[in-house]
Amino acid sequence: MCIAVPGEVIELFPPEGRVKIMGVETTVNIQLIDDLKAGEHVLIHAGCAIEKINQNYYNDLLDIFKSMVDGNEKEDG
Amino acid sequence: MRRKMDKDLLTHLINEVNSMVTEEIKIMEVCGTHTQMIAKLGLRSLLSSKIKLLSGPGCPVCVTEEKYIDWAIEILNRYHVTVATFGDLMRVGGGKGSLLEEKGKGKDVRIIYSSLDIIEMAEKNRGKQVVFLGVGFETTAPIIALAMKTAFERGIDNLYFLTSLKLMPPILHYILKEANNGIHGFICPGHVATIKGADYFKFINREYHTPAAVCGFEAIDIVAGIYYLVKQITQGKKNAFQNLYKRCVKPQGNPTANLLMEEVFNIVDGEWRGIGNIANSSLGINEKYTRFDARNAFVVEDQQVKIRTSCECKDILLGRKTPKECKLFKKRCNPLTPQGPCMVSTEGACTIAYRFGEEV
Ligand code: SF4
Repeated sequence: MCIAVPGEVIELFPPEGRVKIMGVETTVNIQLIDDLKAGEHVLIHAGCAIEKINQNYYNDLLDIFKSMVDGNEKEDG
Repeated sequence: MRRKMDKDLLTHLINEVNSMVTEEIKIMEVCGTHTQMIAKLGLRSLLSSKIKLLSGPGCPVCVTEEKYIDWAIEILNRYHVTVATFGDLMRVGGGKGSLLEEKGKGKDVRIIYSSLDIIEMAEKNRGKQVVFLGVGFETTAPIIALAMKTAFERGIDNLYFLTSLKLMPPILHYILKEANNGIHGFICPGHVATIKGADYFKFINREYHTPAAVCGFEAIDIVAGIYYLVKQITQGKKNAFQNLYKRCVKPQGNPTANLLMEEVFNIVDGEWRGIGNIANSSLGINEKYTRFDARNAFVVEDQQVKIRTSCECKDILLGRKTPKECKLFKKRCNPLTPQGPCMVSTEGACTIAYRFGEEV
């Protein structure tokens, strides 16, 4: 129930926008996100975009992973 | 390219995890969507048997109290209303039956996919009262808040909300303090953190000296989370915390969503199915929005119907047991005749264990 899916923003007509989720277009509410632009990616839950997805998709994870393997990770805590 | 990279990385991480672990390590994945992904990937069969992945209380349907379903059924029986709900809630039993049974009797129960659809439903059916059953955690709460604010601004007067919105930290405090389950590390729910921020979960390492990681929902996210936790645990780094879902999760979360929640809700005590009352673990509706509160608008008898059952969902949700350890599992309890909420929801630990045939 808490599942959220990524989608690409095609067109904006606030308070809604058209997004493409796995090839399928649908309309979602975009009021929870400021400064959204077409072409950006968002996380969608229960018909609403809840956050932008950073386009450097995997880089953060790979960076963290690399430093973990090297044994010099920076803690977030 | 990414596929290959992921596969190599996954294999490498799993091998590393298995080589690090020497004693039993218990890791709780709090969120039902993580439980589902772990089962889908068959992760347990790839990881050392010394690693125990336990499901937590993060399936909102599984923790929705019986009384809540009974309220909804009472409203349906006493008033001429449309009840709109997320599909997962349909089969959950209260003391008086389920919404699916009520629909079968001809009651107007409709499934919706977005809580914002109810605005349209209420506007198109001005002559009828619409009651929306809003359950969920911090991920869903701002969307329900947005629906309520929109209804307020548009002057919609035939829409009501029966909410059971739960907060993660109080139940995690309970699990860490009282549940006596020996958990060594936590995979924190990425979508709750998307709204509330990664910092929301730092009390786990700071107050309880238990490593935690915020994780996304792809295979690489979860495996990297397990790798991170096992590494910290085996090295004795009890205060470790990492946000591994930075592509969506900021330290403070989504400020617009949080402001909206603050405007519409306040923090109140909450009833958790099988577990009981937990202080400050739920969201109530603020005074400004009180006219939308179905509990005020409809008179229902608040009688607790005791359900006698040997269901062990409580111990499963608190990380003390796995579904296989319940004597009803796969016998009297299966997805066709569920005996507890963990077998009803698609994100329930027992449903997932049943479907994927592995210990969850
Ligand atoms: S198998 Fe069924 S009865 Fe047993 S804990 Fe799970 S839901 Fe409850």
